[in-house]
Amino acid sequence: MVYGELCLRDLLELIVQKGLKAGASFCEARFFEERAKYISVENGVAKSMSSGILHGVGVRVIVNGKWGFASTNVSTKISVERVLCDAIGGAKSISAQKGEEAEIVDQKPVVETVVHEVKLNPDDVSEEEKVKRMLEIEKASRTYSEKVKDTFVSYREVLSKIMVHNSFGTLVEETTPRIMVYCNVISKEGTNMQSGFESKGNVAGYELVETIEIEKFSLKAAETAVKLLDASPPPRGTFTVVVDPDVGGLFVHEAFGHNSEGDLVFGGQSIIADKMGQKVASDLVTIWDDPTIHKNGHFVYDHEGTKAEPHLIVNKGILVGYLHSLESAAKLGGKPQGSARAQNHHSSPIIRMSNTYFAAGDMSLEEVLEDVKTGVFLSGSQYGYVETQKGQFTCKAEQGWLIRNGELSEHLRDVAINGLTLDALKNVSAVSNEVRIEMPGMCGKSGQSMYVDAGAPYMRFEGIVVGGRR
Amino acid sequence: MKNMEEIDIRSPVEKAAKMLSKMNLDFFDVYAAYSRSLSIEVLGKGIKEAVSRTDLGLGVRAYKNKGLGVAYSQSLKTEDIETTVRKAVSFATVAQPDPHFKGMPGPSKAPKVEGLCDPEVASLSLDDAGKLVKNMIEAVENVRKGAMYAGGLGAGHMKGFLVTSTGVSVEAEKTSVSAAIVPTYKEGDDIGSSSEYDYAISLKEIDFEKIGKQAAEKAIEQFGSERVESGILPIILTPESSSSLVFSLLGAISGESVVKGRTYASGCLGKQIAPQFFSVVDDGTIPGAISSGAFDGEGVPRRRVVAIEKGVVKTFLHNYYSAGILGVEPTGHAVRGGYGGHVGAGPTNVQVEHGDSTLDEMVAETKTGILATNMIFTPNTVSGEFSSTIDEGFLIKNGEKKHPVKNLMVGGHMLELFRDIELVSKEGRTIGKGYFFPNIKLKQIKLAGK
Repeated sequence: MVYGELCLRDLLELIVQKGLKAGASFCEARFFEERAKYISVENGVAKSMSSGILHGVGVRVIVNGKWGFASTNVSTKISVERVLCDAIGGAKSISAQKGEEAEIVDQKPVVETVVHEVKLNPDDVSEEEKVKRMLEIEKASRTYSEKVKDTFVSYREVLSKIMVHNSFGTLVEETTPRIMVYCNVISKEGTNMQSGFESKGNVAGYELVETIEIEKFSLKAAETAVKLLDASPPPRGTFTVVVDPDVGGLFVHEAFGHNSEGDLVFGGQSIIADKMGQKVASDLVTIWDDPTIHKNGHFVYDHEGTKAEPHLIVNKGILVGYLHSLESAAKLGGKPQGSARAQNHHSSPIIRMSNTYFAAGDMSLEEVLEDVKTGVFLSGSQYGYVETQKGQFTCKAEQGWLIRNGELSEHLRDVAINGLTLDALKNVSAVSNEVRIEMPGMCGKSGQSMYVDAGAPYMRFEGIVVGGRR
Repeated sequence: MKNMEEIDIRSPVEKAAKMLSKMNLDFFDVYAAYSRSLSIEVLGKGIKEAVSRTDLGLGVRAYKNKGLGVAYSQSLKTEDIETTVRKAVSFATVAQPDPHFKGMPGPSKAPKVEGLCDPEVASLSLDDAGKLVKNMIEAVENVRKGAMYAGGLGAGHMKGFLVTSTGVSVEAEKTSVSAAIVPTYKEGDDIGSSSEYDYAISLKEIDFEKIGKQAAEKAIEQFGSERVESGILPIILTPESSSSLVFSLLGAISGESVVKGRTYASGCLGKQIAPQFFSVVDDGTIPGAISSGAFDGEGVPRRRVVAIEKGVVKTFLHNYYSAGILGVEPTGHAVRGGYGGHVGAGPTNVQVEHGDSTLDEMVAETKTGILATNMIFTPNTVSGEFSSTIDEGFLIKNGEKKHPVKNLMVGGHMLELFRDIELVSKEGRTIGKGYFFPNIKLKQIKLAGK
């Protein structure tokens, strides 16, 4: 792309130089581009196809100890220069105000270009072929049972390109292809309606679609939706709870992961801000956030130009690390390992999880369940949220089962759990020996949406509140 | 905010429409939007970052044989518009006929809605925005020092232009401003944290000092939270919680999902779902109100609609597509999600009719119950069942507000909640000159706690 007479790389370099000349102690210019295509199938009809291109430049500076950020998608050199002026003017305008001083760790410059390779470029597959494949996937769920009322399959391919240049001399460029396929099924019997959902998503080319097994995807969503018609609302109260790897993934992301984000830690918004080196969980709990694993939260460089490394957060119950940006590493005395990402050019990089998971223990699922006289087993994640400053979380599962004497019994629907993070983690009493990270999705924070994944082994928690109608 | 650079969005839209009109389509629309926004971000000890953004884009929706092709671009250069148009048209030919699609609305006349653009917001500088945020934080500290913060201020100025193949040509301009602050205090391991916010079209509608003072007072009240027993108790929802109850119902009676029988409220049209004293009006024509406009996202005039009248669901909230399925007139509730091309349906300014009780009376007459001061009802929209956390609330004992609660959930079915509305207060909260939510007392709710 050319901005006026300049190629993109030259433009970013020019902006950073000008930023430093204008008095910035740190200047970062970031180009973002996203090319997306979307197919929507509903009840056997591929009723819409869309595509779009987002692109622009965001500039971030530190001037007089305050951050200024500005962005534009008006693609002219004049417009980007104006953005630099706005960022500098913004930082100056608040520099007299009492508040949070901007501070970052020094970084060695890195110059690298990363292109994630794909086996099958989506551009080499015709739109007609993609539509045909989505219709096949959808048909399996629609024809599963007469109780299936509505079926939806959506396909999204995204090619994003991010170029970060900063005043350390770093210039990294990363091009990332992604594919996401979602299947949603609504079942109906009389006035009772339920739904089932499956998703696939990763840093990948069209080969991801070719590996979708219908039985484990759209057929499974239909089966869940239909079986939930006969499920009961859950009981209410405090129970021993066993979670599957998806609910465990949702739990580790919501209940603990957000609390470990360095910006929330230095900002006084985390329940574990004063707990470094202390015991925050049962000995059975080890937590990792790892952007190097090839899952939906995978990347090589974060959006500050820091190379991604695995982050150990909790080791056998002891808090050993936070997720860092350049700023949180400076303020909390840590090392940036690549956790700062921005949704697009209109947003500043903030600290985000990547692929977050509870590490495996040494029990079988049967052993995790066997001591439970009465409890609730939760499966499939729907949504969750957390108030990090209070450490109170909510996780909604797709379905559940009552546990009686170590066996799964009555099928349950619309089950959610709530708890206080530190109490819940201290009450982990069993962990199975196999981790599954397979819940590709988007995480929202401060108005920004970001690709993440999460997982866990099967885990048992004592004393968890289950909300229900009974 | 520096005033907007003069960028012409009319000519690119007209250029695209001219191209599309020669492409033998069933229908098309073209929408472009241009906005400037600024924000002051607050984190930790106070003001952290000053932000400004310029956004611009154009989207095309093209229907060919009832198949929809959509394309959008963030560049309004002639060659990029041409590419966008060609892409939308080629996708429309690959997409399959949507049997429910009945077309697009034609042109209508509607009176101008006054007061949707505040020059003070349009010309707000980051300097002045920073001072307003400083006042908000000082108001917190005047109540009690030592908090850590999250929150900030956002202000925006937006212009949009829509043209359709059916003759709609609508321009809109609007400003908005929002403020929020979350102070968190600590006393040993005990935490007192809460939030306060407001949003409006005009700067003068927002009282930054009041937001700060109330946030601090609410945060301090949260110290000493305790768990409570599971049970079935009355619950009083303050406007911060009753708004979520009402929004979730209006979402469930909006657009395509409800008319295709996919929400728990699909069978509720014409039915009594709440007591006679419960009514909800949606009015997108209130001058100066945050969700007002002369036209909706498809160019249909906005209007005042009584959605729930004396407890009966009188109408669903329609865009042209959902109205077409039921064979009724659209109600002016099309929501266009920017220039990305998606058009849905949803409420505008929502006003719950006030009752004749007061919050004090509701609390005083409750022997044992819960006062929910902040909670979000997050139902399964298909089944209507919910299982949600009371994010902030208090136990009521013998007619008095006692300690704050924690680790407490409620569960049930959304329609049970509307059936169990017992009292609605006279007083309530007005937001953005358009929304009004009173306190609502429900006869009972199922609690999951200790």
